Amino acid sequence: MNCEMIQGRFADYLTGDLDDEARRDIQSHLASCPACRAEIETLTAVWAKLGVLPQEQPSGELRHRFYAMLEDYRNDLESEARKPRSAGLFAHWRELFTLRRPAFAAAFSAFLLLAGAAGGWLAGGGPGKSTRLSSLQQEVQDMRQTTALSLLSQPAASDRLQGISYSAAVRNPNAKTLDALISTLNTDSSPNVRLAAVEALFLFRNQPGVRDSLTRSLASQDSPLVQVALIDLLVEIRESRAAAALKALVKNEKLNPDVKKVAEQGLKQLI
Amino acid sequence: MSPTDNELMEQVRDGKVEKLAVLFERNQTMLFNFFLRLTGNRAASEDLVQEVFIRILKYRSGYQGDSRFNVWMFQIARNAHVDYLRKRKGDVALDDQFEEVPARDPLPDEAYEADQEAALVRMALDRLPARKREILVLFRYQNLKLREIADLFDCHVGTVKVQVHRALKDLSRIYYELQGGKAS
Repeated sequence: MNCEMIQGRFADYLTGDLDDEARRDIQSHLASCPACRAEIETLTAVWAKLGVLPQEQPSGELRHRFYAMLEDYRNDLESEARKPRSAGLFAHWRELFTLRRPAFAAAFSAFLLLAGAAGGWLAGGGPGKSTRLSSLQQEVQDMRQTTALSLLSQPAASDRLQGISYSAAVRNPNAKTLDALISTLNTDSSPNVRLAAVEALFLFRNQPGVRDSLTRSLASQDSPLVQVALIDLLVEIRESRAAAALKALVKNEKLNPDVKKVAEQGLKQLI
Repeated sequence: MSPTDNELMEQVRDGKVEKLAVLFERNQTMLFNFFLRLTGNRAASEDLVQEVFIRILKYRSGYQGDSRFNVWMFQIARNAHVDYLRKRKGDVALDDQFEEVPARDPLPDEAYEADQEAALVRMALDRLPARKREILVLFRYQNLKLREIADLFDCHVGTVKVQVHRALKDLSRIYYELQGGKAS
């Protein structure tokens, strides 16, 4: 192996992607060539220095913009699916609009404004308009729930946390979303995810079965943080059936003393 | 077992577009850092990440699934970056733009500035010619294999190996010049 060949294999050398024979050839060349030896030492040092750059985090705004975009896309897809015959026309208008022709764009915007004003005037807030609006809002809600369910089933805790924050943004969660949140609260391996589930379920405390599930969950929690969060929640929502669950918890000899104190205080408030 | 990025992208292609959320959560930070190292600008890098996911949706029907999702995504990311440079520079020839040093954001705070070595490495990377910088960033930080980078650049894998070597040599020279010393 000569100096030029060493240069060609340097990238493989860095990643360790060499077979034994190639590695031996390189080592034997380096032993006899001080120039290559010096170069490989310098470049390896620079390669290592590249590792000092920290991984930077994007702002939360990026995530917010992404999910808004995804919802818009999904809504467009569903609207187009419902209007198969007008799809071609819609695509054509979109294409025109994205041609960046300012005069056309301005005229089209003015047209939309006028059309919107006329439509508003004609509709006068009648039942047709409100039905369409609520149907659109429902689509957004459905989209949120589907995404949340998908994220809640991911193996990474960060994904599941995202799924919880996503489901918390739903106004009227369906039974599937509520079941997924309750199941996360009872079985998730990460206390942080379970804590987030407590907070999300607090928002849905008036949905059927949620208060009961929260009360029953107390007995199955082993993390003091989650136990305290649940006790606080049950006391705050004045859940009368929780008193029995708190009494049972206080009797548990293995209970963390701090949690016991919180439970006893909670009992006083509930009884 | 969790689905791979390829499997998720196949589902997105087949109409389950909500699965893109998982791909976003898995890849947004990596893409953001890729763009940040090329542009030096946080706001532009976030815009570019968003643009990549818009394009993934736009081109989802063309996803073949025969190469790693990562490689396909970086193909889109590179195109988005080229368009970003074009928009910024208007008529300036693209080759010239690739020789440009990124207009890096000022360092955000003193603690950040205190990390002299990281600042020096960042500065040295910025001064590399853009193509070498891109290859090095893909190879060092984005976990792409040499063969995958060759696919991205549509060249022979041997060419990528030589370019990695040259890029590191240039980087080493620039780094030691900035440091006020010499490469050993």
